[in-house]
Amino acid sequence: MDPLLASTGHYMFHVFGLMAVAGALGLIFSKNAIHSIVGFLLSMLAVAGCYLTLSAEFLAVAQLLVYAGGIVVLFLFVVMLVEMTKYKEKGLFQSQAKVAAAVVLAGAVVVISVFWSTWFGPAADQALTLGPGLAQGLDVAKQNAQAVSRGLFAQFLLPFEILSVILLVALVGVVVLAKTERV
Amino acid sequence: MPSMNAVLFISFLLFSVGVAGVLIRRNVLIILMCVELMLNAANLNLVAFARHSGTVNGQAFALLVMGLAAAEVAIGLALVVALYRKKDTIQVDQINLLKG
Repeated sequence: MDPLLASTGHYMFHVFGLMAVAGALGLIFSKNAIHSIVGFLLSMLAVAGCYLTLSAEFLAVAQLLVYAGGIVVLFLFVVMLVEMTKYKEKGLFQSQAKVAAAVVLAGAVVVISVFWSTWFGPAADQALTLGPGLAQGLDVAKQNAQAVSRGLFAQFLLPFEILSVILLVALVGVVVLAKTERV
Repeated sequence: MPSMNAVLFISFLLFSVGVAGVLIRRNVLIILMCVELMLNAANLNLVAFARHSGTVNGQAFALLVMGLAAAEVAIGLALVVALYRKKDTIQVDQINLLKG
């Protein structure tokens, strides 16, 4: 383990986590849709940083490629396709927004109280570490991509193939849904 | 390395912000982004538990969830574009085609 990461990993996770939550709040409460997308981008980048501090390096890079590289650009394209200034005067929030916010707060209080009472024990406050069996077989901290690919292609091969079929169906479905009816 | 409780708490905060966004916003695009936020909170939990159990199965699963989220957002955005062509709006309280 890199000693620098081992000493700063704890604080870096908090920094990235708070950045993610701040980006999410900006996503919800900003008036302009482009500003919402910037908040979303900040949140996704911060989640990638969280993956890095959890030493899931391959997943962090995949998060950057898929979200920051793909999904954010898709959202930007659709925002530019769709005219949203027409409805700006009708307000950002739904009519039931206050009730919904109260319900979410109540649910959050319930979950936090459960969380507080079943606090994951003393083991959960320790730093997360690798199990000894895996740590000796594969040095995941150094060869994360190898370990993930071994899990993906040996143990989860069937879900992986099903996912590829789902992606193909989504590709065809998107073309059918979004094409203009000018045959 | 962060502790389990910290990861779970951050992921819970992200998830509840996503739920709040789905419930209170009118814009379909913002609602789709909040769904992505909730999926990311779940992914963060998966990675943390993978770390805790000392295996990489959770990371492989998070990768699968990420691919599924990409497919979902593509279909969702295609639906938004099709709806905008049909109804000329993307505010959810005006999309009431099924209302009697």
